Amino acid sequence: MFGLPDITVIAVGGVVLIIIIALLYWGLTFRGHD
Amino acid sequence: MADILTVIIVTFYFLAMLGIGIWASKKIKTTEDYLVAGRSLGLWVFILLMIGTVASGMSLLGVSGLGYKVGWPTIWEQIFVPLSIGFCVIFFGVKLHNIAKTSGYMTVQDYIAHRYESPIALRSLAAVAGIIVSLIYLVGQYTAIAIVLMWLFAIPLWLALIIATLVTMIYTAIGGLYAVAWASLIQSVILIVGVIIMAPIIIFHAGGFTHVNEVMASINPNLVMPWNPSGAFAVPYIFSFAILLMVGLACAPHVINNVLSIKDVKFFKWAPLAAFLIYGAAMFLLKFTGFAGIAMVKEGIFALPTVVNAGDYVILYGIQYSIPTIAFWGIFAVIVLAAVMSTTDRLMLTIGAMVSWDLYKKVLRPDAPDKTILLLSKIVVVLSAISTMILAINPPEMLAILIWMGIGVMLSTFAVPLLAGLYWRGATRQGALAAMSLGLVTSLVFGFFNYFKVVFAGVDFAKIPLHFSFYSFVIAIIAMIVVSMATKKTAEKILDETQTGWYISKQ
Repeated sequence: MFGLPDITVIAVGGVVLIIIIALLYWGLTFRGHD
Repeated sequence: MADILTVIIVTFYFLAMLGIGIWASKKIKTTEDYLVAGRSLGLWVFILLMIGTVASGMSLLGVSGLGYKVGWPTIWEQIFVPLSIGFCVIFFGVKLHNIAKTSGYMTVQDYIAHRYESPIALRSLAAVAGIIVSLIYLVGQYTAIAIVLMWLFAIPLWLALIIATLVTMIYTAIGGLYAVAWASLIQSVILIVGVIIMAPIIIFHAGGFTHVNEVMASINPNLVMPWNPSGAFAVPYIFSFAILLMVGLACAPHVINNVLSIKDVKFFKWAPLAAFLIYGAAMFLLKFTGFAGIAMVKEGIFALPTVVNAGDYVILYGIQYSIPTIAFWGIFAVIVLAAVMSTTDRLMLTIGAMVSWDLYKKVLRPDAPDKTILLLSKIVVVLSAISTMILAINPPEMLAILIWMGIGVMLSTFAVPLLAGLYWRGATRQGALAAMSLGLVTSLVFGFFNYFKVVFAGVDFAKIPLHFSFYSFVIAIIAMIVVSMATKKTAEKILDETQTGWYISKQ
């Protein structure tokens, strides 16, 4: 895909996806307090 | 190339920055206004301040330069640098902001002094270490500014440095964090919008994303792999590189101090995701322009100058070829200047805070009046600008290497005392002193050995499998654990006041 080996697409795309899910989870669950 | 339109655009940008400085200077009444913007920053000013602080000279020149040199194995830089903002907010920001509300911290050294019951020794060490790493980092920033101005106006390095230093120094010195934050807001928007518009044009002129990757693969298949088979950017190196960027940048004094300036902790809810998506998108595109440069040079579209840091020029040549409209050169110059200046101003202000607040007010003259501290902060901003400008007259071989060395020293010096202080009730003052001093010294030594390819005690430092900072980071961790376990525990009252424990926020 895009002239790249599959391993590049899977490794880079996979890590980016995991990070987005983790930060989404943080946003949904963080309440904080002031 | 110094056509009149470019001169007008760049001059207008400089005047706008000076205007922000003058406007912000009217809001400065106290040292708290100057150093933490009266703790009044809103969500988007904070997010763009964080992006502007992290987005440095490396962001445009170094990122595309490294992409040009090594290819896809360096893409991890564009993942873990944007993630450093989230790491800083989540693991440092929430707690520090909550403690600072009652304790009135101005700098992260205030926290370290409080948590480790060390108002003199550890505070001084943290401030001196912070000043050293910030100066290293600043030299890299000024080099980047000089490269842009030299390219744009064909002027000598010393003149380019003086112009850049004067503008940044003036608005930072008179406007403090108010000026830095609002300048960063504008600079970050310029950077992000500019990159999102210009990078695809360069990639298009290189034949498109797929074509660029195919050309890279035809030159060397490793250029399109996610990691190199061995050496730099092999898997172990990338692991240490990820820690370096994500944690090292997050705990850098000029980055972490920003969390003390936010108005409400609830802004930390979506700031990590927003910063990652916005900054990450721009950084990926920047890296792709470096890749496009590989294809363009290979296909003879342009040739880079025969200088040691030729890679740092790839985006400049890419834009010159792809968008030959005169106005775009000036706009692009402003984009690069915005990226560099948004970090430079924050670094100078941080050095000012560490000298005037941490060393002078808290160590040397506790009875010094607020006006004196404010004046001293401004003087130090000016002095730090001038001294690093002089250091930057001999530019380093590769911009990225010098900046990473700065981040490596930050990681080794600050990450362990901060993380252990916030999350481990067993961490003691002696443990923090040992971790910080050993981290600082070993990272400077390892960085020096690595840069100058020294062979010492049978170890070839040019060929170590991990980034040099990872070794000093591990030494700091071991020092913290061993010394803390052998020394007297911190008082429970202090641990409760500083919200020490294995949690991020008590909800």
